[in-house]
Amino acid sequence: MPPPGGTPPLHPPPDGGWGWVVVGAAFISIGFSYAFPKAVTVFFKEIQLIFNTTYSEIAWISSTMLAVMYAGGPISSVLVNKYGSRPVVMVGGLLCCLGMVSASYSTNVVELYLTMGFICGIGLAFNLQPALTIVGKYFYKKRPVANGLAMAGSPVFLSTLAPFNQFLFNTYGWKGSFMILGGLLLNCCVAGSLMRPVEPKASTESKNKVGVRETDSSMKKRQKQLSVWEKINKYLDFSLFKHRGFLIYLSGNVIMFLGFFAPVIFLAPYAKDKGIDEYSAAFLLSVMAFVDMFARPSVGLIANSKLIRPRIQYFFSFAVMFTGVCHLLCPLAEDYTSLVVYAVFFGLGFGSVSSVLFETLMDLVGAQRFSSAVGLVTVVECCPVLLGPPLAGKLVDETGQYKYMYLACGAIVVIASVWLLIGNAINYRLLAREKKKNIHTKESQETEPLKTSQSPNVNIKSGETETWKGAEVNPSERETNI
Amino acid sequence: MRALQGLRGPRAPALPLFLLCFLAAVRRSLEDGLSTAAPFTSLPVQEEITTKYSNLSSESHNISVTAAPYTSLPVQEEMMTKYSNLSLESHNISMTEQSNMPVEKNITLERPSNVELTCQFTTSGDLNSVNVTWKKGDKLLEDNYLVNATGSILYTQYRVAVIGSKQMGSYSCFFGEKKQHRGTFNLKVPEINGKNKPLITYVGDSVVLMCKCQDCLPLNWTWYGVNGSVQVPIGVPVNDKYVISGKHANETRLKITQLSEDDQGTYWCHAIFELGESEGHVELVVLSYLVPLKAFCAIVAEVVLLVTAILLFEMYTQKKKKPSGDGKEFEQGEQMKLDDSNGIENSGPRHRKNESVGQ
Repeated sequence: MPPPGGTPPLHPPPDGGWGWVVVGAAFISIGFSYAFPKAVTVFFKEIQLIFNTTYSEIAWISSTMLAVMYAGGPISSVLVNKYGSRPVVMVGGLLCCLGMVSASYSTNVVELYLTMGFICGIGLAFNLQPALTIVGKYFYKKRPVANGLAMAGSPVFLSTLAPFNQFLFNTYGWKGSFMILGGLLLNCCVAGSLMRPVEPKASTESKNKVGVRETDSSMKKRQKQLSVWEKINKYLDFSLFKHRGFLIYLSGNVIMFLGFFAPVIFLAPYAKDKGIDEYSAAFLLSVMAFVDMFARPSVGLIANSKLIRPRIQYFFSFAVMFTGVCHLLCPLAEDYTSLVVYAVFFGLGFGSVSSVLFETLMDLVGAQRFSSAVGLVTVVECCPVLLGPPLAGKLVDETGQYKYMYLACGAIVVIASVWLLIGNAINYRLLAREKKKNIHTKESQETEPLKTSQSPNVNIKSGETETWKGAEVNPSERETNI
Repeated sequence: MRALQGLRGPRAPALPLFLLCFLAAVRRSLEDGLSTAAPFTSLPVQEEITTKYSNLSSESHNISVTAAPYTSLPVQEEMMTKYSNLSLESHNISMTEQSNMPVEKNITLERPSNVELTCQFTTSGDLNSVNVTWKKGDKLLEDNYLVNATGSILYTQYRVAVIGSKQMGSYSCFFGEKKQHRGTFNLKVPEINGKNKPLITYVGDSVVLMCKCQDCLPLNWTWYGVNGSVQVPIGVPVNDKYVISGKHANETRLKITQLSEDDQGTYWCHAIFELGESEGHVELVVLSYLVPLKAFCAIVAEVVLLVTAILLFEMYTQKKKKPSGDGKEFEQGEQMKLDDSNGIENSGPRHRKNESVGQ
């Protein structure tokens, strides 16, 4: 359980053992979070008829769910910072179940927005952030692999949930399906129960009290003088907005997400537009999901290698660029075989980006502040993720052709990759410089009571340069060494 | 129709001839089912029929590749002027001598129209020796068709004014005597789409069954439920349980409220056109709430079981390490706990141990 900024730092990550079980649990949570909003679209065509509305009104349910899931990030982060991952995930599972079961009793679309969209969305938010956070707590050396494996949950769950939903609908109708899906989402509680906190539970309560007592005198003084700002930072680390790496990551991602999801959504309509029949068009998406499924852990493994890990930010930028180039080349695909090739490469790009998406954030801000960071990132990313597809759709409507949309998305993604590349190059340089400065100052001031347990000691290649000084955070914290 | 041949081009006749013709006209108009007999200034029959069918639409489908010139039979021209307000639909089938498979073409007709069916037959042999016949169903048709030969292609055309369900059906053209080549035109009313998969609902719910016709506008819709093997009309005595409505003319919706398990079964929607009736079906399945509830409870039980098992396991492993004591040495206790609980694999790097313990 991460203590709020200002108490003694974390225990060393186990990097194995129970950690792999936690990865499995995170796999389930992340799988549900990302796949569920997309998988429920299977029901929409029928529900639209039953509730007597237009398709776009029904499609808003999925968008609401996704929006609330992203926007609920900060709330989730605050709760994780206070109580740890396990209770939050279990509450998330219960909320999801509640949302779906009440959705099965709804009589109009607004009720569906509230139950499925809002309550389920919050529940999924309570699943996503803690799952990502706890992987960072359990792993350091093998973290990219763990992240890659955990993120692989999304395509696996999507490929299984979509046909499963169809089967449920054919057997139980929409009401029964929603009820059973609610039960299924309860399995998030199982995942949550597996997410054992890294520190022993008995110590946390005492730690909160002991932590206050055990700190040095300067810390005590600071506690008495806690301003409102610092109090807020205890729960959600807003000081991240001063963190250079974080800002680069955030800005790059915002640009990237504008053009990231639209190609996925429009792949099937684009194929149909080219004259390909419905089933083959749907098969393209399956190909993409299949490649994605295997790309994520493999890329995680690659990112873990000695060569790539220190330069993981560059790797991320290249993965984004690869995806962007894929989109730019898509209009060249005229027949079905070339579209399949595009789907394969797109799956690769999509998988590699998703695999290291949160790994790079962890790399930049450290596991301690990751839970706040991911909350802030998701709430800001909410906008481009939601705006991207409708804007792309509008572009298609205006120009009448899909190829301009693909070119635009490709261009946006490539711009994002270039921005990330340049930004991170500068960041690496500045960090290296600051590190040299730090070594000099440490060598000269050995008596300074810098109580950092994981100090940036170059001799021992530790990595986590986190300090526990609350708001006075060293902006140059980054892990570069394995 | 044949009888009208004699009425062509009346000149100023002599009186007996005039009387004869007049009588003939009266007889024929009676044969045609018309009640009035007008003087011979204009063809009475034509006017009658023209006004009668003046509100009908015009349909023209032209799929034929070439338009072969025909020497028009008097019959055809009569008919065309008679039903001139009706549209003309032309449909074409091509056959070659080599093809043995009978060729079929489905024609969807919604409202009365003139239909022109053309069969063209390509052969290398002598065209004049090929025998051409037309049949409606099994009945041989003897008139209203033309035969023409151009180059090596033999054309035959049959025209019919489709004004009721009697004229709907299958019309076939046959080429040849021994080795017959056959082309069939199936005249049908538009198809209705119900639902292929059963609709699943629950007791006490309400459901909307919908039947839709793609590009057609039926005159009327009716719904039938099935009792045993008999179709029983529903919604006719207007009651609360069954409400028939429809947003557009090409669809119909049946809303059934207060469902019970007796309402299970197949429902038929009939669309009534001028040229006949078409039907679609929707299957309704009514389940009781217990069915998904059982599955839900099973899943909940599984979840509760797993969660308790996992938490108990964790408490058990923690208890085993409890004597290690709490206090300041959290880290050491933590590591020992990890040692015990992660019996599987402990290859995790311990390089932090040195510095962390130094706290």
